[in-house]
Amino acid sequence: MNLRPRMSDENGPSMNAPGSGLFKQFRLGFAMLAPILGVAALVALLPPDGNERAEWAQFIGRFHPLVVHFPIALLLVVPILELAGSSSRFSYLHLSTSFFLGLATLSATCAAILGWCLGRTGGYSGWLITQHMWAGVLLSAVCWLCWLLRTRMPATGKAYGIALVVGVGLVAWTGYRGGQLSLGANHLTEHMPAGLRHVLGVQHSTPALGSIADPHTFYGARVQPILAARCISCHSADKHKGDLRLDNYRLLMRGGKDGPVVLAGNIQGSDLFRRITLPGNHDDFMPKGKSPLSADQVKVIELWIGAGASDRLAVDAIRSAPSTAAAPSVAEVSFDEIDRGAAAKLRSAIGPTVAELQKRYPNIIDYESRGSSDLRLNASILGSKFGDKDLEAFAPVAEHIILADLSRTAVTDRSAVTIADMKRIRVLRLANTGVTDALLLRLGTLDELESLNVFGTTVTPAVLGTMAKLPKLAHLYVAQTAIPSGGSIPPNLSGKIVF
Amino acid sequence: MNDAADREVRMALLQAQTRRHFLRTLGGGLGTLFVGTSMAQYASPSKDAARSESSLDFTRDESSPLSPLPPQFPAKVRRVIYLHMAGAPSQLELFEYKPDLKRLDGQDCPASFLAGKRFAFISGVPKLLGSQYPFHQVGQSGHWISDRLPHLEQHLDEVCFIKSMRTDQFNHAPAQLLVHTGNARLGYPSFGSWVLYGLGTENQNLPGFIVLLSGGKSPDGGKQLWSSGFLPSVYQGVQCRSHGEPVLYLDDPPGVTRSLRRTMLDAIDRINQHTYAAFGNPETVTRIAQYEMAFRMQMDATDAMDIHQEPEWVRARYGAKPGESSFANNCLVARRLAERGVRFVQLYHWGWDSHGADAKEALNLGFADRCREVDQPTAALLADLKARGMLEDTLVVWGGEFGRTPMRENRDGQVMKYVGRDHNPGAFTIWLAGGGIKPGFSHGQTDEMGYEIVRDPVEIRDLHATMLYLLGFDHHKLNYSFQGLEQKLTSVKPARVVAEILG
Repeated sequence: MNLRPRMSDENGPSMNAPGSGLFKQFRLGFAMLAPILGVAALVALLPPDGNERAEWAQFIGRFHPLVVHFPIALLLVVPILELAGSSSRFSYLHLSTSFFLGLATLSATCAAILGWCLGRTGGYSGWLITQHMWAGVLLSAVCWLCWLLRTRMPATGKAYGIALVVGVGLVAWTGYRGGQLSLGANHLTEHMPAGLRHVLGVQHSTPALGSIADPHTFYGARVQPILAARCISCHSADKHKGDLRLDNYRLLMRGGKDGPVVLAGNIQGSDLFRRITLPGNHDDFMPKGKSPLSADQVKVIELWIGAGASDRLAVDAIRSAPSTAAAPSVAEVSFDEIDRGAAAKLRSAIGPTVAELQKRYPNIIDYESRGSSDLRLNASILGSKFGDKDLEAFAPVAEHIILADLSRTAVTDRSAVTIADMKRIRVLRLANTGVTDALLLRLGTLDELESLNVFGTTVTPAVLGTMAKLPKLAHLYVAQTAIPSGGSIPPNLSGKIVF
Repeated sequence: MNDAADREVRMALLQAQTRRHFLRTLGGGLGTLFVGTSMAQYASPSKDAARSESSLDFTRDESSPLSPLPPQFPAKVRRVIYLHMAGAPSQLELFEYKPDLKRLDGQDCPASFLAGKRFAFISGVPKLLGSQYPFHQVGQSGHWISDRLPHLEQHLDEVCFIKSMRTDQFNHAPAQLLVHTGNARLGYPSFGSWVLYGLGTENQNLPGFIVLLSGGKSPDGGKQLWSSGFLPSVYQGVQCRSHGEPVLYLDDPPGVTRSLRRTMLDAIDRINQHTYAAFGNPETVTRIAQYEMAFRMQMDATDAMDIHQEPEWVRARYGAKPGESSFANNCLVARRLAERGVRFVQLYHWGWDSHGADAKEALNLGFADRCREVDQPTAALLADLKARGMLEDTLVVWGGEFGRTPMRENRDGQVMKYVGRDHNPGAFTIWLAGGGIKPGFSHGQTDEMGYEIVRDPVEIRDLHATMLYLLGFDHHKLNYSFQGLEQKLTSVKPARVVAEILG
């Protein structure tokens, strides 16, 4: 390693004015050292604190994993060049070694700066990131030192060799820590074969004892599931923002970097409670960037802290705790449930016929609702333009019609058969039409009929017997007919007839 | 003749193409081409998914923007008749029986009533004012009512009261806007427009949303109360007159035959079609649809509004006199329109602002007149709808825009000559009747003075959500994309269907 031709400095002395001294000679060297010292200062003064910051720094920082592979490869190439260059066959490789070292130093510095950006803004904290960062900064410095020794102090061959070995070691160490950060602490040993694992003495990483909560306690049954669902994605072994872990009771009670977050019995003093009850736009609000905990979840945590925040408290000790499936406190409405599958099937069967009818008789026939296969027919708006022949056209879908408003149409008793075929009809309106008793007497089979309107027709009391047999009839509108309001009414029609 | 018109339109369009149009099309066109082709695969599935899950599809054929659509769910009511008592009638003289207030009549208003409150006119310490009229209970329901509405009281078993209505507006115009558009500011679609947008109307020969005014003045909120806001203007309410031509300038002028009118409309339609094809402005479609509707309406609207066609005894029941512009005539017309499939009939009767500043505003004078004007027609409307079997799928709503204070108004701190009450947004009474409504029921309660709600407050948006529920809509789902938001009648604050009043 002492065959280094001094390419870069061959003309140096002649170019430097006399007396320019060490600084001038090392101008490039100091220019490269400055950013390294800068990033070291950043790491020392503004270490990652577990807070996520959405800003330019994070955007830039996300490029760290991309850039970081350059110094790794470039620095690992240097000892190869040195070793290969020492054989006479490849001696020319020595010429490029300094250049590679310079590139490695530059890229390591860049990677370190990006790394700090990411660490500072990405919500990282803890020993893993700290080690990784300092190792990265140190690596930049070692690269620079190697370069300096190689190019400016060729006499110190041994020191250069040691620095290079240290640098390679640091690459491995820093890379390993980086891998742990992004892939998990046990990413190298996770799938290690059991035999090898035994030989090397590597332990399977198992959850710390006691972190599995007892489901018979209030904490285990009610509190931990809330924390697990809403909190531990940022506060557990893998990511412990604010140095706080909520994945087991002991760590929850230990608290985070600002001290304990749960004070037994002191609800208002507990930082955890304060943060989950803040408005969503508050800086301290938790879970940050997510929907707030539900009122019931907050209540459970509030009651638990109030009752002493113990992990021994029995599951049923707090009677006022909201049940997991809270009952609605006020009356709620629900829309009529429709079996959508069955309706869709029916619709596809009658759809073409209905579409054809809609084309022929626009605006008067449609489905009862968006999901329903039942039909409503409102011919009343066509008035006398709609007659028996027209109603007959609807015979193919008669059994799907649940409402037919034929008021003021020209429909007569001749439509009796068509109407009697509407077996599922619930509302039938024949107000101000020419229909008579003859038609009504043939409607005895309409078992679903709830409302029948013969307002303003010539219908007489003779139909009441047939009407009384309709099982579901609730309203019979007979005003302006020959049925007098004072007349005798079959007992099961009383209260159902509107005069 | 039409060819000449075509040429003229084409020429106008060519002239409308400016250098800027050309440049814009040039630059934008390439970008649109790229985005259109590269994004299409992402756009369509997500759009379909959104359609099926988060919003209903209200698109219709361009030529018939009012064609009926089925409701989201099976509906309890198919149409609404809304009787708005503009000016806000005093609930304490009609439906709110408060014997304790009567007992304390004439005493100084407690300071706790006044702290932190704003009034339109009350200043200093006003006196409490008991009801000016005696109350009694009626019917099976045992509703309390004063002696001012002797006809209506016979039908109170059909009626469901909400005595705990609340608003956040204490001036007439914004309060009326809130009641009818869900928002106190201008520019939002009215309830009727939303309903028309959601359900369309079966009778294409009449507007689906008709407004009738009486009482001598328009409501303070003006035409904005039946505006379609950001919805296409085809959904706005059509104000009709109850005598003379129902819609001004609807009839053909002398010398113009119906067939000549048809020819003219055909030419106008073709011009409008060209304009729409060129610019794609949906308002052009609205214009075409409205020309067509006006043509069809020439026959049907006149017929529907003509109360001469009703038998004498029916007119007498309402107290309707043809040729007048009265609430009675409007109620009868409302029934005729409802029969003809009009989706939303909105009546305004002006003159309920009983401050006591003059005789017309006095609780013991003008107020009594207003009661007489609406009592018989309202009762007749309910009875008529019931007899005709229409009440089972019609919703009738009666109410003002806010309530009135239990304190006597003392404008400028003076004792006034006439007896009146100031505005009270904190509590008022409305009633509903018809399909899906629990008859004979009373929801909510105010304190002993009728001043503030003590149980079950109902916001305007809750009322809207409830009405939409009855019409077959989840109020979240009846929406329209505007300004980046899925706009809806109930706006962004949580609204609740008042399940208690549904029966």
